[in-house]
Amino acid sequence: MNRAGPRVAAALLGLACVAWSAVPVLRTGWPWLALIVAAASVAFSALRMAMLDVPEPEEAYFLSLSGRAWRNFLTAVRLPPWEEIGGAFVLWLEVLHPSRPWHTAILGIVLIAWLLTVHIAESDASPAGLLRRQARVLVPGLCLLALAAGASALPAVSPGAGAEALEVLAAVAVIAAAILVLPG
Amino acid sequence: MTTKAVSAREVTVRWRLSRHSRRLLTLALAALLLAVLSRRPELAGVAAPALLLLAAGLPRQARPARMSVLVKPGATRLFEGEPAWVDVGLSELAGLDARWALQPGKGIEPASATAVPAATARFEFTIPRWGKRQAGVVELQLHDRWRLTEGRAVVPLPLLDVYPRPGIQEETVTLSRLPSRLGEHVARVPGEGAEFAGLREYVPGDRQRQINWPASTRRGRLMVNTFAAERSQDVVLVVDATSDVGEPGTSALDYALRGAAAAARAYLARRDRVGVITYQWGSARWLAPSLGRRQVYKIIDSMLQADATWAQGASFARLPRAALPPGTLVVAFSPLLDQRFVESLRDLRERGFALLVVDVLNVSPPARRLALPSGADTLARKVWQMEQQAIRFSLRELGVPVVHWDGTAPLDLPLAPYTRRPLVVRR
Repeated sequence: MNRAGPRVAAALLGLACVAWSAVPVLRTGWPWLALIVAAASVAFSALRMAMLDVPEPEEAYFLSLSGRAWRNFLTAVRLPPWEEIGGAFVLWLEVLHPSRPWHTAILGIVLIAWLLTVHIAESDASPAGLLRRQARVLVPGLCLLALAAGASALPAVSPGAGAEALEVLAAVAVIAAAILVLPG
Repeated sequence: MTTKAVSAREVTVRWRLSRHSRRLLTLALAALLLAVLSRRPELAGVAAPALLLLAAGLPRQARPARMSVLVKPGATRLFEGEPAWVDVGLSELAGLDARWALQPGKGIEPASATAVPAATARFEFTIPRWGKRQAGVVELQLHDRWRLTEGRAVVPLPLLDVYPRPGIQEETVTLSRLPSRLGEHVARVPGEGAEFAGLREYVPGDRQRQINWPASTRRGRLMVNTFAAERSQDVVLVVDATSDVGEPGTSALDYALRGAAAAARAYLARRDRVGVITYQWGSARWLAPSLGRRQVYKIIDSMLQADATWAQGASFARLPRAALPPGTLVVAFSPLLDQRFVESLRDLRERGFALLVVDVLNVSPPARRLALPSGADTLARKVWQMEQQAIRFSLRELGVPVVHWDGTAPLDLPLAPYTRRPLVVRR
C-alpha cells in the first residue's frame, strides 16, 4: 500500500467519527460548539497527515516574512494534539445526544479505528503486522465494548426473547474476552 | 582519504509514551470521565479497547536505558566536494524497531535519505567547502513492537577534516642558487648528478667510466664528462588569510588555499622541503619546511586553522629562523588587499628572500544598482583599481614577480615564465 492510502483512510475515518456523533445535528449552544471543535480538529489532523513529508524551512537569521509565516503555519498544524482534542470533543458531542448505546458502541469502534489508522499513517508501520500483533487485545476490548453497550441497552428493552438473547450475548462476550486476554 | 575503524558508543536512551499511546490514554480517560458524569456505561465500554491495548502492551517489553551504537565514518579526512558517508548501526536490537534520522551539521549537504527505518543505516553527504566540519548528529528512535513507547538517543557524528581541493600544478619554480643538499633540481655547479654539464681534461683520480672517448679522440688528450649537481630547495608557502572576498567556494581565501595545496604537492613531489606560513588575525601560524608525503597533510592541516578576519599587524620579522630559513623560495598566495601584508612582503624582499606572489583576487567591488548621477561610483571603482595596480607595480619594481591566477586554470599557466628557467634572485 502506498503512503497516501492510510492518510486518506485516516481522514475519512475522522470525518466518519464527527458525522456519526453529530447526527442528528443539534443546532444549540454546546452541541454546536462541540461539533465545530471536533470538525476543526479532525480537519487539522487530516491536514497534518497530508503535510507529513513537507520539510521545515531551514534555519536562517533573516527569514523572509513569507518564510516565517509558513514556518508558523507548519508549527500550528504539527504541534497541537489534534487527535486527542478531536476524540474528546467527539465523545462529548455523543454525550450531548440522548442515550443510544449501540450508536455509541459503533462510534467507539470507529474512534479506535481512526486512532490506529492515524498511527499507521504517521509511523509508516505495516498495517498487517501491527494489527496482527494487537488483534488479541483489540478483540476482547471490542467484546467488552459490546458488553457495555448491551448492558446499557438492557433496561430499555422489555422482558422477553430479545432480552434473553442479549444476556446470552453478553455472557459469551465476557467468556471470549477472558479467554483471549489470558496470557500465553 | 583516511578511513577510521568502527567505534562503538554507549548512548543513553530516554523512553516515553509514544504519540499513539497518549492518544489512546486521552480517549480512555475522556470516555471514563464522561461515562461517570453522564452515568452511561457504554462510554466506559469505549474506553475498554484503548485501556486493554495500553495495559497489555506497556509492560510487555524490556526497554534498555543504554545501548551500544556503532559509528563508522567512510573517511575522516577528505577533499571538498568528495562523496562521504557514515555508517551507523546497533550492536543488538533486542526486539525493537529502530529508525535513524540524520541532522546534518553546518555546511553538510545530504546526498541520500536523511531518515532510515532499519537497524543499520548509511548516510551519504558531501561537504562543498573546506574546513573542520561537524558531520552532525544522528537521532535514533526506538519503538517497541506495539509502538506504545518510544526511546530517543542522540549520537554525535565525528569531526571531519575537509581539505581544500588542490589546484593543478606540475611544474615548479627553481631558484638559481640552491643550497648544497641532495635533490632533484639541476644546479649550476658541477656535481654527481645525471645531467650532462660539459667536458674537462682528465686529472688523476677521475673515474675511467667518465672518460668521453669520442671527445678524447678528437682532441688528442683524455677528456672527461662533467655533470651538474642535483640539489633541493626550501620552499615556504605564504597564505594570506586576512581577507576573504568573493562568494563562498570561489573566494580569494578558497583560491589561496587551493593554490597553496597544489604548490605543496608539486614541490614535495620534487623532494623539496616545503613549509607554510598562514598570515592571519594577530599572528602568523607557521610550519617549518620538511620533506615527505605526510608534510602535505601537515601543511593543509596548518592552513585549515586559518580564520579569515582582519589582521592586526602580524610581522614576518618575528618568525623564527626555522620558519623562514635563509635562501628560501617564498611563494605567496594573496589577493593583496591588506596593506600590512603587502608591507610584510616588501620586508621579506628587502631581507633578500626570493619571492613570488600569486594574486588570487578575482572580484571587484560590486556596483550599485542605482548609480549616483555624479558618477562618484565609477570614479571610486577606478581609484580602487588604480590602487590595486599600484600595489602590484610597486612589488614588481622591487623584483617580486606577481602573477594572477583565476583559480580554475592550472597554476602552471601563470607560472610558466618562471618555471622554464631558474629564478634569479638579486640581493
